[in-house]
Amino acid sequence: MPGVVELPTLDELNVQEVSVSSAVLKAAAHHYGAQCDKVNKEFMLCRWEEKDPRQCLDEGKLVNQCALEFFRSIKLHCAEPFTEYWTCIDYSDLQELRQCRKEQAKFDSCVLEKLGWVRPELGELSKVTKVNTDRPLPEDPYHSRPRPKPNPVFEGDLKPAKHGSRFYFWNW
Amino acid sequence: MFLINLLIYIIPILLAVAFLTLIERKVLGYMQLRKGPNVIGPYGILQPFADAVKLFTKEPLRPLTSSISMFIIAPILALTLALTIWTPLPMPHTLIDLNLGLLFILSLSGLSVYSILWSGWASNSKYALIGALRAVAQTISYEVTLAIILLSIMLINGSFTLKNLMITQENMWLIMTAWPLTMMWYISTLAETNRAPFDLTEGESELVSGFNVEYAAGPFAMFFLAEYANIMAMNAMTTILFLGPPLNHNHTYTCTISFMFKTMLLTSAFLWVRASYPRFRYDQLMYLLWKSFLPITLALCLMFISIPIALSSIPPQM
Amino acid sequence: MAASKVKQDMPPPGGYGPIDYKRNLPRRGMSGYSMFAIGIGTLLFGHWGMMKWNRERRRLLIEDLEARIALMPLFQAEEDRRKLRMLRENLEEEAIIMKDVPGWKVGESVFHTTRWVPPTVGELHCLRTNEERVNANFGFIWYT
Repeated sequence: MPGVVELPTLDELNVQEVSVSSAVLKAAAHHYGAQCDKVNKEFMLCRWEEKDPRQCLDEGKLVNQCALEFFRSIKLHCAEPFTEYWTCIDYSDLQELRQCRKEQAKFDSCVLEKLGWVRPELGELSKVTKVNTDRPLPEDPYHSRPRPKPNPVFEGDLKPAKHGSRFYFWNW
Repeated sequence: MFLINLLIYIIPILLAVAFLTLIERKVLGYMQLRKGPNVIGPYGILQPFADAVKLFTKEPLRPLTSSISMFIIAPILALTLALTIWTPLPMPHTLIDLNLGLLFILSLSGLSVYSILWSGWASNSKYALIGALRAVAQTISYEVTLAIILLSIMLINGSFTLKNLMITQENMWLIMTAWPLTMMWYISTLAETNRAPFDLTEGESELVSGFNVEYAAGPFAMFFLAEYANIMAMNAMTTILFLGPPLNHNHTYTCTISFMFKTMLLTSAFLWVRASYPRFRYDQLMYLLWKSFLPITLALCLMFISIPIALSSIPPQM
Repeated sequence: MAASKVKQDMPPPGGYGPIDYKRNLPRRGMSGYSMFAIGIGTLLFGHWGMMKWNRERRRLLIEDLEARIALMPLFQAEEDRRKLRMLRENLEEEAIIMKDVPGWKVGESVFHTTRWVPPTVGELHCLRTNEERVNANFGFIWYT
């Protein structure tokens, strides 16, 4: 019963992508994780429960929108310290955050002042969280076959063996 | 383009090797109150080139009874390995960013045993064979400690990546944490590269020269170059392992300079050792390894395993 | 012959004094105990420093990993959309290519199931250039 794979049309998939480089993403990562926490977790939960990217397109769009808004507000309010910060990260060898603590502090204070965002503490983003969602739990995400019928209960009269267990000597 | 890359890679190593031979002769000369080579060029600076020209224009000897193919392959292998060993060294940027760079270097230096063994065997001469056996026994014995020392260092470093060692040693050289290992490592590198006082196989001054008696001219020059390239590669390893050069991302050349400076100091210490110490006896050499170094390195390896675990300070595993 | 005029060289009366042949090594430098103490002290200090730095490095690693965790939903959403878009494009191309084949069902799943099967890299790039496929396969390997 191989069915036709239903795919969303290109229009449905068309979203304005976040087109920034890796250094920018890494520089903004912690604040982004804190600000877009709800949407992100919602999307990841959907993705985890549905096992199907087609079911989570709307959530994914929300994620993208949140990210766009996030970067826009940074650009609006803290463009200069942020640029300094991510350039520093870009120039450090393996994009290490520890090379740029000074710039990071400047960026953090700017963000706190203008937008009221606080950098999440170490360990906050990796916490296991419960997500409160309205999306119903999918019925059968793996499209499993129906479970086989359970074996009928044996009706006859069962007696213990006459000479005891055969495994008497091999009782390990 | 490929050829140019290759040349840019090989020529500096060969140049360094050439001048290492010159400086060795100079240093030994001045330590023994003579002058060393001083005829060709100002202060004898062109001596290595003259040597090279002489060696490569001589007629390469091919003993009648030798097994030719292996006889020819052995020096080529030796030089190739000695040149290849430089690829994953971070100074501070590597030519090949190997994840398991340390294992790569260890295995390459292990492979160079074969060049010695083959050359000795293929020469079909008693002297060469016995010399090769002695050299191989010595080299593989000292490789045991080298491997265990590397393992202990890696337990602090957290990975086999050579570049990671620079991050590990940002605050403090590993020589502080592991100076006994450093001492043993340095002595083991002396033995591994068959340098004085462990140069029983060569015995340049009084014996016939070990596994490469039958070699002359070009092939001999290849062995010679391989040996000195190995010496410098080993010292570069010592620098990276124990005297980690500081890495500043905006001025990477400072790292390179400090790296080269330390390597140079260690290499001249090799020369100094050669000028100062008498040769070991063979049994002493083996006792030194199997009865002192091996137990101590094993014990220290255990210590380096248990202390981080006990103090919950194992390095990050990525 | 008369007694020789030559005066034989003899030791001075009373013999020579004692020859100074005793080994004479001046004790210089530090005593063994203090050198031992300095060595062990360096070792302890070095270990202390390394342990501290190792713990710090682990914290830094956690920070890096958290950056990845934070960014992962964004990447996942983007990746999903990209994959679906490529599949869609492949589907349209397939309809054009296979329009003359009778009985060909466009977009039929090759698997005997209705669940979502993640497409392989080869499946996604089967209609692309070779360069794109190679890039998709090996482009993000930054170490060997």
